Amino acid sequence: MKIAVVGKGGSGKTTTSAILARTLARSGRSVVALDCDSNPNLGLSLGIGMDATEALVSLRDAVGDEVEHARTWDEIVLRFGADAPDGVRLAMVSKIEDPDLGCP
Amino acid sequence: MRVAFIGKGGAGKSVIVGTFCRLLARSDHSPVVAIDSDTMPGLAYSLGVPSTETMLDPDIVEEVGEEDDRTWVLREGLDPAGVVERYAVEGPDGVRLLQLGKLRGHARAIGPSFRAFRILVQRLPETGWHLVGDLPGGTRQPFSGWAGFADLVVVVAEATPSSMLAARRLARLAGTRHGPGEDRMVAIANKVDDAADGDRLQQFCGLRVIGTVPADPSVRAAERSGVALLDASPDSPAVEAVTSLLHTITAEAP
Repeated sequence: MKIAVVGKGGSGKTTTSAILARTLARSGRSVVALDCDSNPNLGLSLGIGMDATEALVSLRDAVGDEVEHARTWDEIVLRFGADAPDGVRLAMVSKIEDPDLGCP
Repeated sequence: MRVAFIGKGGAGKSVIVGTFCRLLARSDHSPVVAIDSDTMPGLAYSLGVPSTETMLDPDIVEEVGEEDDRTWVLREGLDPAGVVERYAVEGPDGVRLLQLGKLRGHARAIGPSFRAFRILVQRLPETGWHLVGDLPGGTRQPFSGWAGFADLVVVVAEATPSSMLAARRLARLAGTRHGPGEDRMVAIANKVDDAADGDRLQQFCGLRVIGTVPADPSVRAAERSGVALLDASPDSPAVEAVTSLLHTITAEAP
């Protein structure tokens, strides 16, 4: 099952996602919580704390430009994700470090 | 005055900006342009302007210069003030709302219109206009050139971990290539219910906190009813706080 949570800023996407992820994990499913926000806070709502949330390496950086020896999804999530309560595995897609001009 | 408000989604930027723009328009005769550059726009509600469906004609800008040094400018012969008059919607107290437009279809199709918007805002006359920007939540837009028009960039944050963390990230990104620079960025604490919230925010994010707005149920009530806070509860504590914020910012960004 793949679920995406979307909506306007401040409407509660992150809190909803975190509760969904932990509830699904408690029911015995294997869950990856994916933070796709360029201002990633899902770690806070899952309960791993601020330092661990800030320490996450984004998958985009982890994948790099290497095509030939590209890592598999499992490898990446295992290596660059973080463990959150109830057995949820948290991974972050991107984090803004040095933005380019343009895209709104 | 040229000021942009940024911060985490839900921090309360739009209500503050809408109220701020109208109070500014009442206190000064120069036209106030309220800029909503969110692809999910909401500032119209906080200003009390009927919902609009504007989208800039991409042809108002053109690319000029030599091959290695090309740059986008407003099309020759166009007057930026005239373009604003054509596309902006006039609301209460004479505030003009300029809206980026809703994200419809593929980004590639509307990209040129978004670029035109960014260039137009940058080219508006330095004097005789007040520009007040309400940028989308998060860290992406303020540092991709969209806050470039502003002399002062105000981070709106609650004293919650996620909101303060966003403020600290915004503070750290201030010095990146298209960011506003650290010295042009300040913060305000919103939805404050503890007198120490402003200090906590300042200590956490490192930005100078120039004001606080209290947690005020009339803000939620106004948002729920879709009426501008200034019309729904003109004497509320939140309006009083934005009034004093206006005085502070007028002194900071003359």
